[in-house]
Amino acid sequence: MTEPRNPGMSSVPQTAPVHTDSSSAAVEMDPVEYTLRKRLPRKLPKRRNDVYVNMKTDFRAQLARCQKLLEGGGHREICVHGLGLAINRAINIALQLQASSQGVLQLAANTSTVELVDDLEPEDPDEAGEPMTRTRNNSAIHIKVFYPDPQ
Amino acid sequence: MRNQPVSVQYPSGSTQNGGDTSVTGGGRDDGPSNVRPSTERPKNPHQRAGWVRGHQKDGGGYAKEMPKLITAGAFARARSAEVRAMLKAVTVTTGSSHVCGALPKHMRRRAMSHNTKRLPRRLRDVANRMAGSKKKKEQAKSKSRKARRRHGNLLLEFNRRQRKNMWLETHIWHAKRFHMVKKWGYCLGDRPTYKCYRPCYRAMSGHCLLQDLSYYCCIELQGEEDKLLASLSQLTSKEAGPTFAAALSLSGRRQGSVMVYKAGQYPSQPLGPVTFLWRPRTQGSTHRQLWIWAHPIIKKDLLLELQTVCQCCEAVVPPVVPVVTPAEVVPTLGPEPEPKPEKNPETKQITGTKRKRSCKDASGPPAKKILGDGTRSPTTPVTWKSSSTGIVINDLTMEIVRYRLIGPQSHSVLAETLEAATDCDVRIMEINKSQSSSLWWPEHCKDESKMNLHQQQADVYHILKGIYSTGELPPGTVLGLTVDDPRLTLPTKKVKALPCEHAVCVCCGFVSEVDEEKRKELMLRGVSEHCCQSYLWEQSVRDNVTDNKISEQELNRMRSEVLVPGSRLSPTPLQGRVPILLVHQPGKQVGHEMSSWGAGWDLLLPKGWGMAFWVPLVYRGVRIGGLNMSLKHSQNKGAPHFPHDYPDCFAGVHFQEEQETELLDKFKRRPPAKRTNYIKHGCLAPFRCPWQQLAEEWELILREGGEDRKGDGQTGTATEADTEMEEEVTSHRDITVTKPPSRITVLRNTKSLRLLSGWCKPTTSKGQRHCRVRELPPLDRSATTSFLTAHGMSLVWVRLSLLSKGKPELHAMVCVPTAEDLQLLKKGPGSSGPQEPPHRDHFKSRIKRRKKGPKKAATSSLSSKTEGKESNPPSGSEPNPTTSEDPKSSPKSSSDRIFGLWPDPLPSVTSHCSRLTLGWVTQGDFSLSAGCGDALGFVSVAGLLNTLVNQPMEHRGMLLLRNPASLHYRFAKINIEV
Repeated sequence: MTEPRNPGMSSVPQTAPVHTDSSSAAVEMDPVEYTLRKRLPRKLPKRRNDVYVNMKTDFRAQLARCQKLLEGGGHREICVHGLGLAINRAINIALQLQASSQGVLQLAANTSTVELVDDLEPEDPDEAGEPMTRTRNNSAIHIKVFYPDPQ
Repeated sequence: MRNQPVSVQYPSGSTQNGGDTSVTGGGRDDGPSNVRPSTERPKNPHQRAGWVRGHQKDGGGYAKEMPKLITAGAFARARSAEVRAMLKAVTVTTGSSHVCGALPKHMRRRAMSHNTKRLPRRLRDVANRMAGSKKKKEQAKSKSRKARRRHGNLLLEFNRRQRKNMWLETHIWHAKRFHMVKKWGYCLGDRPTYKCYRPCYRAMSGHCLLQDLSYYCCIELQGEEDKLLASLSQLTSKEAGPTFAAALSLSGRRQGSVMVYKAGQYPSQPLGPVTFLWRPRTQGSTHRQLWIWAHPIIKKDLLLELQTVCQCCEAVVPPVVPVVTPAEVVPTLGPEPEPKPEKNPETKQITGTKRKRSCKDASGPPAKKILGDGTRSPTTPVTWKSSSTGIVINDLTMEIVRYRLIGPQSHSVLAETLEAATDCDVRIMEINKSQSSSLWWPEHCKDESKMNLHQQQADVYHILKGIYSTGELPPGTVLGLTVDDPRLTLPTKKVKALPCEHAVCVCCGFVSEVDEEKRKELMLRGVSEHCCQSYLWEQSVRDNVTDNKISEQELNRMRSEVLVPGSRLSPTPLQGRVPILLVHQPGKQVGHEMSSWGAGWDLLLPKGWGMAFWVPLVYRGVRIGGLNMSLKHSQNKGAPHFPHDYPDCFAGVHFQEEQETELLDKFKRRPPAKRTNYIKHGCLAPFRCPWQQLAEEWELILREGGEDRKGDGQTGTATEADTEMEEEVTSHRDITVTKPPSRITVLRNTKSLRLLSGWCKPTTSKGQRHCRVRELPPLDRSATTSFLTAHGMSLVWVRLSLLSKGKPELHAMVCVPTAEDLQLLKKGPGSSGPQEPPHRDHFKSRIKRRKKGPKKAATSSLSSKTEGKESNPPSGSEPNPTTSEDPKSSPKSSSDRIFGLWPDPLPSVTSHCSRLTLGWVTQGDFSLSAGCGDALGFVSVAGLLNTLVNQPMEHRGMLLLRNPASLHYRFAKINIEV
């Protein structure tokens, strides 16, 4: 949340990418004592032309969805969002889109940081008392894929 | 004369005599017509009673030679008698015949039976006479529709219909739109009459689904904290997760859920899952209040168990000792303002009661009156006290309305529907001072501290509007609140509640830092303790609110008096403040995918206010779900659903029996030729799951090891392992043998579950990605044996995701793949799995034989031969000797054998088919959230471990799934989600 973002620009991929970087952090928390539960990243309102990329869906399907939006859907621009592990895939999709359009499409990338929340539940709740909650940051990318204005 | 019906004899008395003498010669001594003494008579043994037609072979059916002369007088006399008898027989109608019977068949019409004018005129009188008596009765019974629909009469009718099964407050609403079922002493909506399977799923995952859960029973416990905890700790175990004493729930900030067992019986004899809520502490007092919410099916047992552990056996209203039927509902607490038992009979008889009162009648109180099998005496206790521990148990069933909102937008719906209560104007308060009002809210408004608290709660509620999805909140959060009557802000049209602009602003960064900070604080810390306080906990406030509810009629009158039509009523009427509790329901918490799916809020209301909140919620564009949606909800969450998936609980066992009879009835309704022959499909028990037998058999298989299977190549992996394993098992044999055949348990020990889950190599569905797990003890034989000594006869709740095609169904079999099957899998993930060779149905011939009763003797010698022949083919594919038992069980010819089903003493369930059976599916469907077939069920722990040990590393956790009516096995990945 360091920079002003465009409306609707945030990262809401599925939980899959979130897992990857967090388990390393969990080790520090003495894994015997606590169970780690990740809460969903903040969901934000979504326009028609927002595409949130995740690691669960097939890559081709996601690419096809973007193409459909640009060609059939009549949108001049779409936003591709990726969080954590899905950043790579978001970039990939954007580049693929550009390549397949023979350079007509243009890209504008933005990065941001997203705050994520983890719950740490003690295994033995009666003794340990307070469950903990902590926040950690994760990177996200927002790529605007658009047809440039004629003038 | 010649035309006489010679072959027909009418043997009733004298009529026969005259005529027949001449023709058949069968007549007896008829004095006057003694022309021909019948010579043939003694020869005629076939003088049967009744009509005899046709030529009688041995008989002297009729004489061959014609009579030579006839005496006219005698003949005529005899004929006349005959004619008389015939006329008599024609005129006298038998019991069943109707006037229509007098008509020839082609002239009869169905409508004649209830409209006599359709009959020919000559029959009309008779018909009128016959129908007359019936009609009179009918008229007396049913009044005109208008009369029946008159408010008082309608109410009486409703009360009568509630006598057997309780109605929820939203019953009428539901009855108009849902298929209602009578279950657990309630009338509940099962599923809507319109198609909505997918829309309901979409509502759950995208917007909001609403359910009425008021049928859940609330039991209130009051007493000193330590004493309560001490008694309750007997019912639970720390091994199975957080208990009643978990710090966070004890503070009252979170709702907790536990599995309750009979006192001190932890692994065995579970009662069922309950959720509970502690009332936040009040300063300087150790007196606590606890609500336990339980399913109505276990309420009776739970109440008894609570009474034992708390030593509460003194019923406050003395007469009957707490034998309470589950259907019971009753809230006659001591300080109740209007004693209900008094009121109910009164309102029943007097039809013209006041509107307000009767309105209440229709909803809450009268439902309490009635028990499962008759009227409950109003003196049946609902409160029990203990002199030794000072604990008080209250039965609050139907006292509190509980609505469940499921879905990420459920808080937006709440935010739009409910508004934090506005304070009373000072001016009005002054008026109230003079009256010393009986309403609770004005009283509260005078108290500064209470208003402070309300202000804080309202602030939290306001922040809550700022979040986007329900799943972002700490799971189980509780928020107490006082809200305005939602009927006042009812939109004129149904609208769809969307996240308010506030949330949009937050994401755009337009919201001030302060708000953002507060929101973050809420997300991290949850609601602070004092904000969880609600006046809903107080009996007196609840009753006050219930009694002073503005009736719909009154409200409409007030609306009509507003100057600008359609504008809001202001000031808000004093009665329009309701204390509520909002309880966050965590969504999917186990597993690695779709986390927080199906999160939502529970809304707790005082009784009587059900419809006042229901309609405004519906007007916010939510979908309404019935019982079957609860099932789907828990299925998508991967959670066991009570009582379906609790085979070790009494309720679960009972449910399975019911389900079996239901499915069996459905099966039997089909003609035999159209039924699935489950025997041929190698399915032993398509309608139930013999868990006990399964667990015992696996125990046996592991114990006896591979002796029997040695040298059999087909289950190579299993055999070798078993032989090796035997040595180790023998060391434990003394333990297992001495153990009496115990009942099955479901594994709920979290540590063991986690271990088992790690061994299964948890992946996401379809086995795409291996999730990281903690370091585990390696899965080897010593580890499994030690695990099994602890949890030998256990079942474990698993989730199976199909790798490619297939939709698992109820009671599909979970099987162990052989080595060849795994080879098949190696070729490609899309391979469609092996086939089960069709079985022979050697019961079929037996059923046929039974039908041909007399021939049985002839074929009995044959049957022994065929038996020997038929029992072989199925066992040919099976490597184990247990199938040889099959014929043994079959000879018992039970009379109630059903075609296509295996008769009762089942042979070995594990080894009946070519693949060993591990368990069965209890919920299976195509999962809309995972996008593949998804099944939930139980497998035997012993069998599962044995399988896992023997599987190569790359295929560990691969199992086969086969539907009861199919021969095709499908590959599935097992997941134990902790």
